[in-house]
Amino acid sequence: MASDVGMVHTAAASPARAAAADPARAAWLAAQRWARWKRRLLPLLGAASLLFAWWALVAFFQVKPFIAPAPQVVAATLWQKSDILLANLWPTAIEALSGFLIGNLVAVAVATLFVHRKGIEMAFFPIVVLINSIPVVAKAPILVLLLGNGMAPKIAIAAVICFFPTLVNMVRGLEAVSPQSLELMHVLSARTWEVFIRLRLPTSIPYLFSALKIAASTAVVGAIVGEWIGSQEGIGALIIQATYNFDSALLYATVICGSAFSVAFFLAIRMLERICVRWAPQSQS
Amino acid sequence: MGPAITPGAPAVELHGVSVRFMSERREVAALEDISFSLSPGSFLTLLGPSGCGKSTLLRVVADIVAPTSGSLRVLGQAPGEARRRREIGFVFQDATLLPWRSALDNVRLPLQVGGSPARGGRSPEELLALVGLAGWEKALPHELSGGMRQRVSIARALLGDPKILLMDEPFGALDEITRDRLNDELLHIWRQTGTTILFVTHSIHEAAYLGQQVLMLAARPGRVREMIPVDLPEPRQLAIRDTAGFGALAGRLRAVLETC
Repeated sequence: MASDVGMVHTAAASPARAAAADPARAAWLAAQRWARWKRRLLPLLGAASLLFAWWALVAFFQVKPFIAPAPQVVAATLWQKSDILLANLWPTAIEALSGFLIGNLVAVAVATLFVHRKGIEMAFFPIVVLINSIPVVAKAPILVLLLGNGMAPKIAIAAVICFFPTLVNMVRGLEAVSPQSLELMHVLSARTWEVFIRLRLPTSIPYLFSALKIAASTAVVGAIVGEWIGSQEGIGALIIQATYNFDSALLYATVICGSAFSVAFFLAIRMLERICVRWAPQSQS
Repeated sequence: MGPAITPGAPAVELHGVSVRFMSERREVAALEDISFSLSPGSFLTLLGPSGCGKSTLLRVVADIVAPTSGSLRVLGQAPGEARRRREIGFVFQDATLLPWRSALDNVRLPLQVGGSPARGGRSPEELLALVGLAGWEKALPHELSGGMRQRVSIARALLGDPKILLMDEPFGALDEITRDRLNDELLHIWRQTGTTILFVTHSIHEAAYLGQQVLMLAARPGRVREMIPVDLPEPRQLAIRDTAGFGALAGRLRAVLETC
């Protein structure tokens, strides 16, 4: 028994020495290390093999540059035309971020109203759920027709597109309190606003963040689709221009640029979520 | 302190209390003509088959559910008045802790809502120590075991020194070992605080071990079957469960329960 305890201590202090003493443990440690590396390497390997396949297909079939570019040409375009790309990313980013902020703020406010005025919720919530189920790409053109040109309509489109998923999730989050918690608040004679601040709002935060993560990417989609019709600048406008000019390298570079922004936006929200939601064991997603 | 509590008034007094609910367009009688009176400082356990309205009865006393007919007084006042004066502590079957708050902040919740009438009694830190959780002040609920979470909720219910503690199957979801230990600690807390306790359970042994009296309820509609006094020596220890007296009492409770 005493020697067992000593063994554990040595293992913790110096794995190498313990490994020398115990080949089975050394093999197990090596297998663990390999598994860790595999988790990191395989996704990179997968991406690299697809890039290679892209390059090989374009080279082998001698695909014309105006149909599809080779990956190295896209990379070169990303570098050479970075000033044009950034100049066009800027308005799209402003539209997406402002739309995101406005849409989500209004959604949270309306959700708060719904939860406290059941009659209004009963009248309008089913319609909200219905509108929420319409795909973004179908909603956006309707809004473009309604709202016209300029930056403001794009912001409005991004906002409207963010609004519905956040409203639906926020209402569910604010109502996700257990009946017992409400009874507890009643026994403590808590006022309605105290129940909201101390119980409903914190309960809804995880629901809010799952909506914000959806909204982060849909806001960018909304801004881009808004720019497709009658816009001179922005990622959406650049996509249209590149397509009409058969500049496939620029088209691909623009798409990569827009996606990179979308992913960065999403990751920023996820980081904020990790900071704000610490009470629950982290769910892996 | 506002209107004085009538001296010598029963802790809880019900006269012909009935509660009816509407469910699926059908009226259901949850409680029918409940009358009993409980003197301050006593420990009453409520036992009965499921659907006998034990939990509803506690919620009537706590002013969560209003009686359809009949009247009740809590410490000589209307139940709503007793609730607003924080004379009532409630412990739910589920600990009902706020998961984003530490154990200590959960115990502090009653100080932060409902106009938080300033009252004496033990501090949140002292209460956590009383329920055996000294050193766990900063732990979040998901870091605590089920038994520890329920201890936190008992400490929260005891904040402000309530005269009445209502407990709705608080240990029903716990394993037997934890449950036995918490039963003992609850008796200890009851002796230390002198609080009146109404304790709902579906365990015959728990009802007999904890209560000075057992209120047996019959189901559909929930009504008083019998008020059974428990004449076991005080202070009680778990070993009492092995005595012939305890066995006889448990046997009697089971016999009455079967007729409910």
